[in-house]
Formats: sequence, structure tokens, C-alpha cells
Amino acid sequence: MDPSEVEFLAEKEFVKIIPNFSLDKIYLIGGDLGPFNPGLTADVPVWLALNLKQRQKCRILPPEWMDVEKLEEMREFERKEDAFTPAPSPYYMELTKLLLNHASDNIPKADEIRTLVKDIWDTRVAKLRLSADSFIRQQEAHAQLDNLTLMEINTIREFLLDSLNCMYKLRSNLQPGATKGQFADY
Amino acid sequence: MDTPSYFPVPPGVGMEDNFLSLDDILLSQERLPVRTECVFPRLGFLEKSADSQDIAEGSKMELPLWLCKGLHEKKRKVLSVELPKIYKEGWRTVFTADPNVVDLHKMGPYYYGLGSQMLHFDSPENPDIAKTLLQTFIGRFRRTMDSSQNAYNEDTSALVGRLDCLEKVLFRSGQNGLNGFQDWEKGQAAQLTASSLVLNYRKRKLVDVQS
Repeated sequence: MDPSEVEFLAEKEFVKIIPNFSLDKIYLIGGDLGPFNPGLTADVPVWLALNLKQRQKCRILPPEWMDVEKLEEMREFERKEDAFTPAPSPYYMELTKLLLNHASDNIPKADEIRTLVKDIWDTRVAKLRLSADSFIRQQEAHAQLDNLTLMEINTIREFLLDSLNCMYKLRSNLQPGATKGQFADY
Repeated sequence: MDTPSYFPVPPGVGMEDNFLSLDDILLSQERLPVRTECVFPRLGFLEKSADSQDIAEGSKMELPLWLCKGLHEKKRKVLSVELPKIYKEGWRTVFTADPNVVDLHKMGPYYYGLGSQMLHFDSPENPDIAKTLLQTFIGRFRRTMDSSQNAYNEDTSALVGRLDCLEKVLFRSGQNGLNGFQDWEKGQAAQLTASSLVLNYRKRKLVDVQS
């Protein structure tokens, strides 16, 4: 999976905007998007919010978790815990990048938020590598990791699956005769 | 989106090897020390040290893996294959002590592959060899993971130089994940770039086409 595909999936998340135009309710395949009145908040998916922002038809309100104190708390919590803590949002990395690139004028303290989110990301990825290493070292068959986001899984997926394949094949050496006679089809 | 439409056949790690994989074909070129158990008449020209017309029984030679596998039979003793020294007891203790220290590229770039193929030859040390292979892989996994996931836009030849071919493949897939993420973060994922195939086409001038 590409990071762009993960970003595409992230654009389905809802975010609050303040439009400066008015429009009746629109009926789309994915759902209805409520009537737009200037000055009143509306919930829209991120793809629409970014489009409207680029056409200067709305103002984007930062999501609740995108606040300096909250993110600092989450960062400290993440650093203390060994397991994964619940992420700010299942798509925090993508939303941060999208919103801060296109709507940084609507979000207070954008640079600090970017640094904090990067710190949280680094801590989580380090924990992910540690748990991947202990998974391989103990040759477990299953692992359960709660609270991982799709982006984090995506960066390590190719590597981890390939190494698990190699490990599986090396382990099958320990039981000779079980794999003889298997031919690959092309 | 970036997946190529042509996948090279991967090497088969484990006791079977893929017939069409280039890595496996190169692997089977590795030479193994061998002791002949019967006479090979009129093949004396293969062994340059002796001048006789046939290869006498009990002579020590080095034959490539593909030949050894073909000639190995349990009932008729044609050859007896010795283990190369990196799979022997001495080196095995080195690997169990600290797998990260060893330069696996120098030890034969196909350490894991050749080790798995050696298990075909029914040596009494087979379970130990298999276990050592697995433990070495596990021990070196951490370093391969860290170096592949952290080296962005750097010269990786120092990191890759000590890896076996199998680990190099893993390193490359780790780098793919990392590069993909970093490109996306910088915003390069959304930029349209000309494909390398198109860049190589030379524009035909209209004059040439007409004449």
C-alpha cells in the first residue's frame, strides 16, 4: 500500500468548517452533506474541506486533538507507557500533514503542533520496531498490537512480512521431509 | 501504484530452491569440498592436479553445488560431501556467540541459501546447522531493521557490505517502506514525474519520419 493511498483513506474523516457561502443540502453517494450557511459550522469530510479552502470558500477549524497542551500530554503519556497508547486520531499523521499544509492560517501554533506530532510519531515507531524485534526473537506465532494507526503499519509492512517469510522458511529446515515434494507453480 | 508489472522470481529460502530464480542459480555455483567414493573413468581432465586419465577413488575435489546435488544418492555412494568450514562446529559457536560481528558477505554471499541446501546431503550435524541458521538470522534481524529503516538518502554501502544476499533483499524492502513514507511526507508523492522509460525515448523529428 502506498502512503498516498493511506492519505486517500484519511480524507474520509470529518472536520468542522465555517463556510462563507450558502448551499442547500447535497446528496452524495457517500452520504448527505448538510445545508451550508455562512458563519455556521458544518461537518464535512476532509477532501471537501480542503477543496473549499483552496477555493477560499471556508475556514477550517482544527480538530479537538490538534491542540498544543493536549498533544504535549499525549506525548508524555506515550513516552511513559511501554504499550501503545490510543493515538490522537486513527489518521493523525495524515490529517496533520494535510491540514497544516493547506490551512495553517486557521490553526494556531502550527509549527509547534507539527513538532509535537512528529515526536509522537517517532516514539510510536520506535515502540513498533522494538515489538517487531521481540516478536521475531521469540519466534511467536501471533502478536496483538492495539492502537496502531494505518500509516505506522504501512511503513513497516513490507519489511516485516518479508522477514517473517524468511524466518518461516528457515524454520521449516528444522523439520526435514515435511516440505519435500512441494513445487512452485509459474 | 509503484508496483512493477514484472516481478523477478525470488529465491526460495529453505530446502527447495526456485528453478527460475537468478539468485538460486548463482547460489548453486558455490563450490563444496567433496570426496569421491568411486572411480570416475576418463574424467581425469577435470582434476588439474593429477595427471591420470580417471579420477581415482577417494580423491578430494571441489565441485559446484548443482553437480553435487545431482550426484548425491543414498544407495550408490558416488560422492561424500563435506561441510564447508563456515557450517562446521568452530564457526557455529562464533555465530551463536554474536551473530552481528560476522561479515556474512565475505563468508560466502549466500550463507543462508547454501546452508539450507546443505541440509540435502544428510550430514549428522543437520539439526545443528538448521538451528544455527535460524539463530543467526534472528540475531542479525535487529541490526538490519534499524539500519534499513533509519538510513534515508545516505550512502548505504557501508551498512550493506556485511550482509548476506537474503538480508540485502530485506534491507531493500525496508528502504522502500522508508523512502515511500518520506517522499509522501515531503509532498513528492503528489508530483507527477515523467516515467524513466519515456525520458529515454528520443523525440523523433518529423523530418526523419517523413523521409
